[in-house]
Amino acid sequence: MRQISNVCAALLCLIFIFAPVFTTTNAMDAEAIIRKRDQNEYVNTAAADVEMVITSGRRQMTKTMTSYAEGDNALAVFTNPRDRGTKFLKRGDDLWMFFPDAEDLIKISGHMLSQGMMGSDFSYQDIMESDKLLELYEFELVGEEKIDGRLCYILEGIAIPEQEVSYYRRRSWVDQERFVGLKEELYARSGRLLKVLKVNELEQFGERWYPTASVMEDKLRKDTRTEFYVKSIEFNPDISEDTFTLENLR
Amino acid sequence: MLFIKLALRNLARHRNRTFVTSTIIALAIFLFILMDSLIGGMTDMSYATLIDYEFGHLQIVNRSYWHEKEKLPLKNLLPWETVNHPAVRNISGLKGVSPELEFLGRLNNGINELPVVGKGIIPNDFYKVYPLADQFVEGAEFALGEHKAVLGKRLAELLKLDIGDYITILVKDKNETFNTIDAEVAGLVHTINPNVNSNYVYLPLDVVQQALAVDESISRLIIRLDEKDLAHKASRDLQGEFSQNNDQIGVYPWHEIEAVSVADAKNAGIRVMLGVILLIAAIAIINNVILAALERMPEIGMMKAMGLEEKEIVYVFVTEATGIGVLGGFSGVILGALGVGVFRRVGVDFTTMMDLDMAQWGIPVLGKIYGSWSPITLVQGFIFAASASFLASILPAYWAARKDPIQAIYRR
Repeated sequence: MRQISNVCAALLCLIFIFAPVFTTTNAMDAEAIIRKRDQNEYVNTAAADVEMVITSGRRQMTKTMTSYAEGDNALAVFTNPRDRGTKFLKRGDDLWMFFPDAEDLIKISGHMLSQGMMGSDFSYQDIMESDKLLELYEFELVGEEKIDGRLCYILEGIAIPEQEVSYYRRRSWVDQERFVGLKEELYARSGRLLKVLKVNELEQFGERWYPTASVMEDKLRKDTRTEFYVKSIEFNPDISEDTFTLENLR
Repeated sequence: MLFIKLALRNLARHRNRTFVTSTIIALAIFLFILMDSLIGGMTDMSYATLIDYEFGHLQIVNRSYWHEKEKLPLKNLLPWETVNHPAVRNISGLKGVSPELEFLGRLNNGINELPVVGKGIIPNDFYKVYPLADQFVEGAEFALGEHKAVLGKRLAELLKLDIGDYITILVKDKNETFNTIDAEVAGLVHTINPNVNSNYVYLPLDVVQQALAVDESISRLIIRLDEKDLAHKASRDLQGEFSQNNDQIGVYPWHEIEAVSVADAKNAGIRVMLGVILLIAAIAIINNVILAALERMPEIGMMKAMGLEEKEIVYVFVTEATGIGVLGGFSGVILGALGVGVFRRVGVDFTTMMDLDMAQWGIPVLGKIYGSWSPITLVQGFIFAASASFLASILPAYWAARKDPIQAIYRR
């Protein structure tokens, strides 16, 4: 969850980890930047229609889904013909999947969480991260750089020792005017770049700027990328209480 | 004695019937012996391949780890001191001790990735426990500290990897943080164990320990003994030693591993099927004896008319039937012994013959399967043939012997 929140607000919609608590512990400038970014990207409750275009070599798959999120819980229901009826339910720290063909619930745990979700460049782990970044990373403002012609702050976060975090280091480019993350690099402890997320389009919803088109690339694999589009999104909708129950998943 | 002679003479007189019936029995016994040999061979090879490539004769692990061992967690590991514990080094019949650090990872060739089980090993120790050093088909082993890997030929083919290529394994360390292990492919192995060929990647222990941030801890200590039969006693002795200081350390002999239990359960199931086959064979024998009795109704009537008592007729019939069983059983045992001999020497490659992947059937063996030699089975086969014929003939013999002589002669 924290991954997603840091990585991409669009992904937040998809998997419904709408809580990007980008915070720093000791660098005031970095903290202020992250706080402003949170105002744009942090979402507690939302419903959205999203599209995911997964490209791997010459193969391309398009998946669409409707997603609902509220606090720590999220539900994604796939709507494209091939996966119609497949559902993901996140309840706290647990992730469940329902395949309509098998008519069975599968709990995704252990090493399965490292796999790409539905063949995408987003791992299940990415959607399971907690949102307590403040306790997990120390951020530092390390510079400025232009991304697609827009001046950005560059922030670098290093995992606090002994904390359980998926990515040891992350580097974020935050738009200096709109305070939205435009790019994020995620690194392994070995220093190897694992993933890069780039935001291509933003839309303004009232006072809020929100990413609506982004691309995630798994840097360990060639010719693979996942484009992520938010087709429509409603902030703070009424979501029924039984939306996030296992009974509803079947 | 007279009746035995009479029975034997009858067998000779009705040589066609004797031949056909005893051949059927022989065939049943032959198949039974061959099937038993196949099951025995598969079982022996399953055990051997599990001991030789996965579990050794004894495993020393943390008890909490043992309960979660399928997940290969990086918690509840063994401290390095366990490796040099005097009790371990003083085991009677000790052949080798190999520390291992196992983990789950995703092997990446830059284009595709596959889930694998990684094993951090100390090559010199490892090859004393597992005969993998003889199974290299390309390349060679690595040394501690080298960023090199050995993997199965099959896995390398799946990811189109050759010697000298570089691989990346994506892992999660002790803190659940992603890390990568980059290594050059140093060697490819091919064994009779499908897991080794397709799922395992061997790396230097120190490289893995560093990547997983577990200091000098290990997942398990594998012990090889001179004989697998020594495992039970050695495990008890070793457990006693460890229990004095650390009751968290568990010692598990090879026959306590789940894979062996599963193999045993499957074998038990197969043997039940074998029992059903024998039951069908017994029914065939009974059928033959009843038909023989019906066919010889006039003869029975004549014997009664000549003054033979019921029990004497029963005696002759039962002796005849038992004789057929003895003949069939003996022939079956001879044929079975010959078949098992060939089976043990030549083996059967089900993968090639029937395009069967034995691993899919839960039998962790690749290539040819060789039969096992079991003298007890030969004796059992013979006893079964003789006793089934004997028992099967009693009722029909009584039924025939009770017939009125005149009715029996005229088949009424």
